[in-house]
Amino acid sequence: MPVRKWMLTRRVLGQAGAATALAAVVGRPARADRPYRIGALNPITGAGSTYGSGMQKTILFALEEVKRAGGVDGRPIEVYAEDTQTSPDAAVLAARKLIDANKVDAIIGTWSSSVSLAVLPITNEANCLLLHTSSAPALSTPAQNPKHLAWRFQAASHQIGDAYAAIAAHEKASRAAAMAFNNDVQIASVGFFRSAWEKAGGKLPNPVVYEPNRTSYAAELQQALSEKPDFLVVSGYVPDTSIILREAYEAGNTAKIVIPGWAMGPATVKALGAEVLEGLIVVDAVPDAGSAAFKTFDAAYRAATGNPGSSNIYAAMCYDMVAVLTLAMQKAGPSADNAAIAQVIPEVANPPGQAVSSFAEGRKLLQAGQKINYEGASGPIDFDERGDVTPVFGVSVFHDGKLEQRYLLK
Amino acid sequence: MSAAVGLNLAVAGLIQGLLIALAGLAVSLCFAVARFPNAATGDFMTFAAYAGVAAQAWTGSLLAGAASAVLLTAGLAVASYVLVFRNFRGRSLVAPLIASIGLAFLLRSVLTFFVGFDQHSFHVPIARAIVFAGARVRPIDLWLAGTSAVTLLAVLAVLFLTPIGRRMRAVADNPELARASGIRARTVMLTLWTLIGACSAVGGVMLGLQTVVVPEMGWNLLLPAFAAAVLGGVGNPTGAVLAGIALGLVQALSTPLVGFTYQTAISFILLIATLVLRPQGLLGRAEPVR
Amino acid sequence: MQGYLTAVGTVGGIYALLALGLNLQYGFTGLINFGVVAFYAVGAYTSALLALRGVPFVLDFAAAAVLAALFAWPLGVMCLRLRDDYLAIVTLAFAEILRTVIVSEEWLTNGTRGIPGIPRPFSGLGAAAGGFAYLALVLAAMLAGVSLTVRLVGSPFGRLIQAIRDDEDAVRSVGKSPARCKLVVFMIGAGLTGLAGALYAHYLTYISPDQFVPLLTFYVWIAVIMGGAGRVGGAIAGAALLTLFLEGSRFLRDVLPFVSEVQMASLRLAAIGLMLILFTLYRPQGLLGRVAR
Repeated sequence: MPVRKWMLTRRVLGQAGAATALAAVVGRPARADRPYRIGALNPITGAGSTYGSGMQKTILFALEEVKRAGGVDGRPIEVYAEDTQTSPDAAVLAARKLIDANKVDAIIGTWSSSVSLAVLPITNEANCLLLHTSSAPALSTPAQNPKHLAWRFQAASHQIGDAYAAIAAHEKASRAAAMAFNNDVQIASVGFFRSAWEKAGGKLPNPVVYEPNRTSYAAELQQALSEKPDFLVVSGYVPDTSIILREAYEAGNTAKIVIPGWAMGPATVKALGAEVLEGLIVVDAVPDAGSAAFKTFDAAYRAATGNPGSSNIYAAMCYDMVAVLTLAMQKAGPSADNAAIAQVIPEVANPPGQAVSSFAEGRKLLQAGQKINYEGASGPIDFDERGDVTPVFGVSVFHDGKLEQRYLLK
Repeated sequence: MSAAVGLNLAVAGLIQGLLIALAGLAVSLCFAVARFPNAATGDFMTFAAYAGVAAQAWTGSLLAGAASAVLLTAGLAVASYVLVFRNFRGRSLVAPLIASIGLAFLLRSVLTFFVGFDQHSFHVPIARAIVFAGARVRPIDLWLAGTSAVTLLAVLAVLFLTPIGRRMRAVADNPELARASGIRARTVMLTLWTLIGACSAVGGVMLGLQTVVVPEMGWNLLLPAFAAAVLGGVGNPTGAVLAGIALGLVQALSTPLVGFTYQTAISFILLIATLVLRPQGLLGRAEPVR
Repeated sequence: MQGYLTAVGTVGGIYALLALGLNLQYGFTGLINFGVVAFYAVGAYTSALLALRGVPFVLDFAAAAVLAALFAWPLGVMCLRLRDDYLAIVTLAFAEILRTVIVSEEWLTNGTRGIPGIPRPFSGLGAAAGGFAYLALVLAAMLAGVSLTVRLVGSPFGRLIQAIRDDEDAVRSVGKSPARCKLVVFMIGAGLTGLAGALYAHYLTYISPDQFVPLLTFYVWIAVIMGGAGRVGGAIAGAALLTLFLEGSRFLRDVLPFVSEVQMASLRLAAIGLMLILFTLYRPQGLLGRVAR
């Protein structure tokens, strides 16, 4: 563990102890004197635990980077970390603790859709920002997000579904099939794939929904391949996808298989090997070519976790959350409240503006009064009017054991 | 359902069943002799998988990895007995059950504290499946099936064919009488927990070889293991083994009828139905209620 | 801070209601029910679905309790002649079957997507006042549960069920039917659990199948055992202690600054596990129980 992290913690704790005590007595002081508190609420345990610790560590080192660059003018930042346990009720209590006991102004890095859906009413009520990586469409509807406090850094399910359909068209698929992990995100993505594909004139049999934690998906695979498709979408996570890919290979499958980027990890690449992976198509939300932000994130992620940044796209999104939030705070000024900060988020993240790939770069330009456009580690980070990123999807193919990017979907 | 499809499902079901049988045997042994369902069984398996991965990474050999996992987990199980479970003798099953839940949490959290939450995998050579009468069988599956079958038979052999096993069964049947006849509880219990640890270890390594090694992997298998132990007849290890295999087969073969989501539910419905019709389980004796 | 404490109190009160239900079943009657979360889920989904169709809150809560009790009936009829240990596994299996049904029958339950936007009583009062009012509601429900338990346990019926717990054969020998009494208690306990589920659903305003997992049943058991099974106050004490463990461990970081944030999650779970082991070893009768058990 890098030493500097716990020093940050100690400093934060010292301030936290005093601040909490003061706040309890005096009530929340005026905005300008008060530090901006960020709650890192991530799935350290539970189903999202593969990504959660990386996400939380990323938030911490990203905030360190902001501090090293001079911080946000007039706004010291404090961070508090909690675990959602990938469970909505645990997350609700954690969110309540962050908001009421730690007095956070923003909660960032909730991962699972059910957690974000449970936390959103709380953050809305408290006028806190919620920056999340969940795909459920319900998170950005006007009914659920009326004050535009929630911002989505991950492709929404309909965008993922459309991406699958675009790839199918690009690969000139004639018969398509799909398998989906039994949760809301994957079922929804595959559902949108189906409607997009059928709207383009294709046909898709009922997607095969499979259960988690099984040791074999041979039967499910058999059903998916029963109509002899030449194109198969497998929308799941690392453990199940690695079993399915292995079993597809052993069954002598010839269909092109497409998986989302988060379903492939470095351990499985090593375990499956070049032969099994040959020709596998991976679709991922990617930054524009040559993203400097990704390089910075990747280096820091490796130092903090020992794994490559490409193994945790959600951590890259968390890196961008910190950058976007701090740049928005910088632009909005030291006495801005969350409504004002939310208003300028698109101004720092979307074009037009000079492209920047770090807080340090953007801060300098903002101080000079210029317009910026943050290009992130997980994508170009351009928000639509609902607060969802418009991702750019990159399509890569495994060849000789290595993932080669082939084309982008715009 | 064509014969080839059915055979493939049966093969997958048998492998899964052997896995459940291993876990179920570990639970049943504890149930029979120590008189409580051990909720830490799953986390023994998780521990074994992690130990196996680490040992394989260190020595380069899968066999060495598996063997180390078995030794370490047996040690862990014995330690659990000495430090925790030994103190619950003679009490109702609820107290050691709760303690075993606590132990499960403790094991898992110690593991994640040091190792983190990353996914790990064993190194398994990928090979094309052998086609056998229309069914696809992987070489590794043959090894797994063979090893688990051997483990199950070995444990049952110890239980039924050795003096220590005889003593274990005596303690299981009637602890007071066993003690009165001079059977030393300590040797019996140490052997018992070694067997429980070894059984869980083989199951954990098997699970790790088939899937990915994550902190919750064993906990997820707890329910089927409990189901197998009870379905086979409480306190009947052979029954637990047979029930485990049956559950695996039923789950796999029922999928064309009920779909993939309901396959686990089907095995539980079967469990309830069997118990209602035959309360002593498949192989249990009709015992008076304790 | 009071928002957080109100939330903890509300959740603690819901756990207390759950513990009251289980205490009635296990503590007073000896029924080893490991399907607590199933009746919880029935209550939660019933109340949520009815409320979204405009049914007033009082009826939603009532329906939740009644339906949960009704679900207990066939299970009770089938299983209450089984050994204690069997009931445990059967109820555990039932809970998993129910969860599978909830996940699969999307037309009814919205499947894995869950049900967002559940209406919440007192939401018009604003954040702080609404939170207090809801806490008061939960505490009122809890007190109603306590009063019900006290009345029941003190009555002749209550003496009968405790006699069943202690020696079922003796009860049978005097001509009473233990199975019927056990069934009644099982259903009443399930009803309390269903009510707790309804309170939970309206508090969270969002429910999904992955919230109704066996771990919750284990937590309720922990509360009952730690508080002292078979004592009315035991359920409340146990729920309070459990909530203290679960939420208090969040603040461990303040005393252990050298541990990284990520490791804190492991440390919390380790602390909870260790507490369970120590409690069952050194205070097996629970906080309020008598040593004689």
